[in-house]
Parts: sequence; structure tokens; C-alpha cells
Amino acid sequence: MTVVGAALVPGMPHLLAAEPAPSWKLLADAARQAGRDLRAAGPDAFVVLSTQWFTVLGHQFQVDPNPRGHHVDENWYAYDYGTLDYDLRVDVELAEAWACQAEDMGFQARRTRYDGFPVDTGTVVAGKLVDPDRSRPIALVSCNLYAAAGDLGRIAEAAALAAGKLGRRVAFVAVSGLSSGLIQRWIEPAEDRFEDAGHDAWNRRVLDLLAAGRTDEVLALREEYAREAQADSQLRALAFLAGSGACDRPARVLEYGPVWGTGAAVVTWLDG
Amino acid sequence: MSRVFHVTVGDRRRPPQTAPAPAGVPVAELGPGGGDERGPGIVAGFLAPHPPHLIYAENPPQNEPRSRGGWELLRWAYQEARRRLRERHRPDVIVVHAPHWITMVGHHVNCVPNPRGLSVEPIFPHLLRYRYDFRTDVELATAIADCAADAGLVTRKLTNPGVRVDYATIGALHLLNPDWDIPVVSLSANNNPYFYSDADLEQMERLGAATRRAVEQTGRRAVLAGSNSLSHLHWDREPDLPEDMAAEHPYDDHQYRWDMDLLTLVRAGRTRELRAFLPRHIEATAAEVKAGSLSWLLSALGWPEIPGDVLGYGTIIGTGNAVIEWDPASPARPHPAPPGWAPGPDDADRPRPMTGARS
Repeated sequence: MTVVGAALVPGMPHLLAAEPAPSWKLLADAARQAGRDLRAAGPDAFVVLSTQWFTVLGHQFQVDPNPRGHHVDENWYAYDYGTLDYDLRVDVELAEAWACQAEDMGFQARRTRYDGFPVDTGTVVAGKLVDPDRSRPIALVSCNLYAAAGDLGRIAEAAALAAGKLGRRVAFVAVSGLSSGLIQRWIEPAEDRFEDAGHDAWNRRVLDLLAAGRTDEVLALREEYAREAQADSQLRALAFLAGSGACDRPARVLEYGPVWGTGAAVVTWLDG
Repeated sequence: MSRVFHVTVGDRRRPPQTAPAPAGVPVAELGPGGGDERGPGIVAGFLAPHPPHLIYAENPPQNEPRSRGGWELLRWAYQEARRRLRERHRPDVIVVHAPHWITMVGHHVNCVPNPRGLSVEPIFPHLLRYRYDFRTDVELATAIADCAADAGLVTRKLTNPGVRVDYATIGALHLLNPDWDIPVVSLSANNNPYFYSDADLEQMERLGAATRRAVEQTGRRAVLAGSNSLSHLHWDREPDLPEDMAAEHPYDDHQYRWDMDLLTLVRAGRTRELRAFLPRHIEATAAEVKAGSLSWLLSALGWPEIPGDVLGYGTIIGTGNAVIEWDPASPARPHPAPPGWAPGPDDADRPRPMTGARS
């Protein structure tokens, strides 16, 4: 089996806070658990999409073998978790094969390899939680917000096809929140909560459907969810994960809670 | 890579006005050299779109990628804006509001004295890898943040020099002043347009009024730059050669006509109507002015009932972009709309979107 599993994890840096809110800590622990579960399934590499690397023209594939640097988040810079060092291991062979496969399927695939390229907060945060020892290389693609959501499913399909041709076993990780309505003031961690009960209700509805294995129903609700709860990037992350073929079973919701008022969840799709 | 120029902040400071002139009232006298002899205050505002294609096409030494040009009409419009900035407005400071310093909580003001670094743009890394090095007018930046907080806005002063400066800030400032020899204050966009949240234009208007108060308190002579495009649906892929102008045209006729109606209001000086029209334009075209830069700019100017001077309009990957100057001291000649004209095209014949944009 080429695709060994998939996970949805949050990308907010609060999960790395030295003094986290209770929900931040639970979510971080759950993301670490999701990483352990995915690694136990034996992937050779992780295939990653982060909604915080959003683009608008074509689909960008990271082909720098070792992006590394010091990232200061433009919103959370005043907090300990706003400054992140990163040192990524990219599976360039897989990324190149993925880009070629995407081109064969009619997509515009743009290779990204530039000194000083700013890796996004979500990719860095997820990497530190899901695979803190960098035991597996990763292949990264951007989240094109102007392409149809279904295109991202096809991009994931391209990754699975490319991995199969290379004989790689891969696990898919989408880094995304759920509802994205932030609390619009500076708060202490202990004050974090959902201020919009409607957003909370929508998130729970979506997670319940995923846990019941009704992924297609969630995809059908995606635009309504986006309108009603400001779903992060219109929940393109789920379209991506579904395209991998890994979401054809009930999901396991490891944790759900607020991060500065937004909805965040750790969800896995694995055998057994 | 060449370095950009520096000047010392505040060396051309003027004493505060005792009584600021009402917005929209021509008060200036042109000096013998054509320069505006007004004292401190906001002397002009520019709508200054920032797509990185414009810097890319200019081939400045600060930017690593090279091009064969392109988008000349917009770049020539900026040429004229630069001439007016330098010869007529002669500001102490340029204050820019930019939609790609996206802050999810609060209105942030860059208070780092000397931001410098390499800005590789994550969306357009093939077009913009720009080495920036400029001076912030920290006193004014601090005053704007304080006035905004006094007005009830959530604010934050950025003092961490590690935050990468975004391409909308760099784009507008470079195109208005490629020598970077005028100090700067840069403001974030407190919204998250790519996450389906709508900008709160009322907050942007309060931020504009706070900016005006801060400029007056500190005695600066300021030019404001709202770094926004107009209609904002665009292609989701680009030609192999980004500057292939054969591929450049409006995203669709619907977007173009809404942009023309907005510009008709601007050219006629019907600013109050423009204020009411902006939300409709945003709704119809996903206009980037939803990030609030234009509302901030015109609010700071007091929504003057004077014509804006449309120096140029053009599309970039299908989006609408206009370089516009509002000069309360020397307003542009009005261009009245045709009799019976009303803003807001008939949408009955609106074409369907050509991609899944924003769905």
C-alpha cells in the first residue's frame, strides 16, 4: 500500500507555547500522538499541505532539499511561540516526481527553490509536533486559494501516483484549522474559548461526520461551512486529504478545542 | 546587490499646525518652483497598487529576478506619481497601509527603526526577491499606534526586527520612491481576506482618522499610500513568460465595468458616493479594497469631495489596478459622469467565473 494514512493537524504556533492554554496543550499532545501513529504505519515520507503557505497561481512544490532558517510570525511575534527555527528535510525526488505527475494531469506545477524562502508557520509547527526528530523526509505543496478545491484533491492523487511509481510509502498531513474566527483582542491563554457558538457547532458537526466516515458529506457541506464558520481556506485541506484516498474510512478525532477562538482539531485516518 | 539609500528620520520636521485645515479644502499655495508651500499635515494620498509584477518589470537593483518589462501603462502612471511626490508634495514621511502584512489580531504599526533584509515572496518568489533597507519614522509610527488605541482599536507596535516586510508594503513604497530616501511608517491590514473574513471598513475609517491625528500631533508633512488593487479575481495559472502582455487583460468584462464605475466616481469627485459604493464593489469583484487601504486613505483625508486624478489603470494577471492621486491643495479637474449615469453595472449579463476562484 502506497498511502499508509493521513492526518489533519492545526498549524497555529500557540501549540508550542511555553505556557499554553489547556486546549493548546491537549492539541499539541494529540498532534504528537498522531505523528507517532502515522510513523508506526511505516511511511517513507510525509506528503504535506499547509493552508498557511497559500498561493494564487499554479501549485508550488518545494524542491529545496534543506530549507532552514529563523521564522518570525508577522502576527504572533511578541510571544515566545512567535519565533521558530526550522531545518526541514525535503524528499526532492518525490517532490519532483509529484510535480511532474501534476503536470501530466494538466496542472501548472511550479518548483520553489530559493534562498531565504519563508517557510510558513503551519509547516514548521506541524513538523515539530508530528515528526520532531525529522525521522522522515517531507514533500510540500502550497494551497492554491484561487484553484477549485477539487483541484487540490487531484494534486493529492498526483502525490500518491508519484509515490507509487517511486515505490515510496507515504502518509499525508494537512495543516489547517477549522473555523477561523479569531478573538479580536489580546488575551491570556486561560481566556481562550469559542466566542461564536455557531462556529463551535459547525466544527462539531463536521468532526462527527468525519468520525462516522461520511467524508463525502463534509465535502458537500464545505462551501456552506466556509460561509457559516469562516472555515480555514474553505476547508481545502480536507479536499486534499480525500484526494489521497486515505479518508475512505471513519476518522479518529484525537482532540478538538479553541486556539485564540478558532477551531482546531487533530484527526487521523489509519487502518485498525 | 546594491543597497538602498538612507536619510535620518525627522530631519525635515515641521512645527505642528495650530489649527489643521479642514479636509478637502484647497489651502495650498504653489511656490515659485511649483512646490506646495503648505505646512504639516497630510498633503496628498495615493492609491498605490502593489502587484510584484510592477517591480519585477522595472528591474531595479534591489530585486533579484530580471524581466523584459511589461505593464508599462501602470509603470508610467507611477512615474508621474513619483514626479509629483518629489516636486510638489515633498513629504517628510510616506505612510503606507498594506494588505499583505496580514495581522489576525489588531492593527499593527511597524516601529522597527531600520527594517532590512531579503523579502522572498512566498506567492511570487519567481518575481520578487527584494533586498530592502529603509528608515521608519518611529515617532510618528508610535503616535499612530497610540492614537489608534485611543480610538478604541486593538493595536500592537512591532519592534521585533525579524519580521519579513511583505510585498505590498515594498511594492507601493518602491514604486513611489525607489530611492527609499523618505522615511516610512507601515501599517498592517487587520483582516484575513484569504480566510473568508470580511474586512471591517468602519475600523479602517477609524484608523484613518487616527493616522490624521498622529500626523498633526507630530507636525509631519505626510503622503499616504493605500496599497490596494481594485477588482481582484484573477487567473489561477500564469503564462510561461510572466510579462507576456498578450496574455494580460481583465479577468472578465464584469470586473472591468465595476472598476470603471468606481473610477468614474473618483474622477467626478463624488467621494461620498464612493464611500457607499465601496462595499458593493467589493461584493461584486472581490476587490482588494476590502483590506481597507482605500477606506483608511480617504478617511485620513476626510473623504474630500474633490476629484482624484487617475494617473493610470491596467490589469495584472486579470486584476484591476489604478494609480490615483488625491491632492486637496490642487485637486484634479473634475470629469462629471454622463447625465443619468448611476454606479453599479447591470449584472444581468454577468459572465460566469472562468475558474473556481474563491470557491
